[in-house]
Amino acid sequence: MTSPSKTLRAVTLVLRIGLGIVFVYAAWTKLRTPWELFAMEVDSYQLLPLKMVELVARTLPWFELFVGLLLMTGFWLRSAAVATALLLAGFFTLMVRAYAKGMEIPCGCFGANDIISWKTLLRDGSLLAAALALTVLSFGQRRKALRAASPEEK
Amino acid sequence: MGLLSLWPAMAAINDIDPNKTAGNPAAPVTIEIFSDFQCPGCKSFHERTLPQLERDFVATGKVFVVFREFPLAIHAHSREAANYAVAAAHLGLYRPVADALFRDQTAWSVSGKVWDAVASVLTLSQQKKVKAGADDASVLGEIMRDVNAGNSVPITSTPTLEISRGDKRYPLSGTLHYEFLKNLLDDLSK
Repeated sequence: MTSPSKTLRAVTLVLRIGLGIVFVYAAWTKLRTPWELFAMEVDSYQLLPLKMVELVARTLPWFELFVGLLLMTGFWLRSAAVATALLLAGFFTLMVRAYAKGMEIPCGCFGANDIISWKTLLRDGSLLAAALALTVLSFGQRRKALRAASPEEK
Repeated sequence: MGLLSLWPAMAAINDIDPNKTAGNPAAPVTIEIFSDFQCPGCKSFHERTLPQLERDFVATGKVFVVFREFPLAIHAHSREAANYAVAAAHLGLYRPVADALFRDQTAWSVSGKVWDAVASVLTLSQQKKVKAGADDASVLGEIMRDVNAGNSVPITSTPTLEISRGDKRYPLSGTLHYEFLKNLLDDLSK
């Protein structure tokens, strides 16, 4: 029989590897094409001035790659989990806003022509839930590790 | 076949009607524009972005444009509009008819009087030919080929541009801000 802590560690591992792969793939789909393609997708949300759109289009894929690699390797896991949850919360909010406004625009998630629909919302909502779970688990494991390291405080 | 081998774009896209193209087929970059005459985004692209694209890239021989029909089922009159436009293309009158359809889109989208927009830019004899040609099997087949080409991209909204240079293909949809499109085409056409 497996202990609860072993199960939680396994769930954490699956979540961080899974999310890491998703983030690295998302970055790769953007970095393998000219940055202007992603810029037009960012611009479709009609939220940012052009200069900011360009900045986001040029930097966000590299940040996604960085976060994805952190998740896959397990370095700075809590920071990476928080960054992942914040990014996905931001993406999800923007997508819900666009969907609610009836905007037929590409979501900018995994390359071209991924138009926002209930399916993309379900997919990103699930990723957000996974990122939140990973954040909670990674902080929980940290607390447990600290407690184990100082038993005299019991 | 010999002629096609001289024109890479034509050879790569072998199902196009030369009357529904603009620019030099030997241009390094090809843009296939999949649009729906009843879609507001397509009207905006046709009237605002396309003229800039034609001025900066088509007229200078850097980009070859292919117009593709992609009438969406959600639009009641877009199939009829596409039929007229393609029939007009057979007479070499695609652009004036397409311009008129987009110009009067707001009116015929509501009234359903698509023909009024088409007729406004044709002579009486041209009107007869276009009206007769609109239900022709070759016209319907041509639209079906465009739709099939769009489905293979695949297209999920209009307008969608498929930009290609050699074997690289980039489907583009959304707001298609000209500044970014220009940057991209500048890079691709070097």
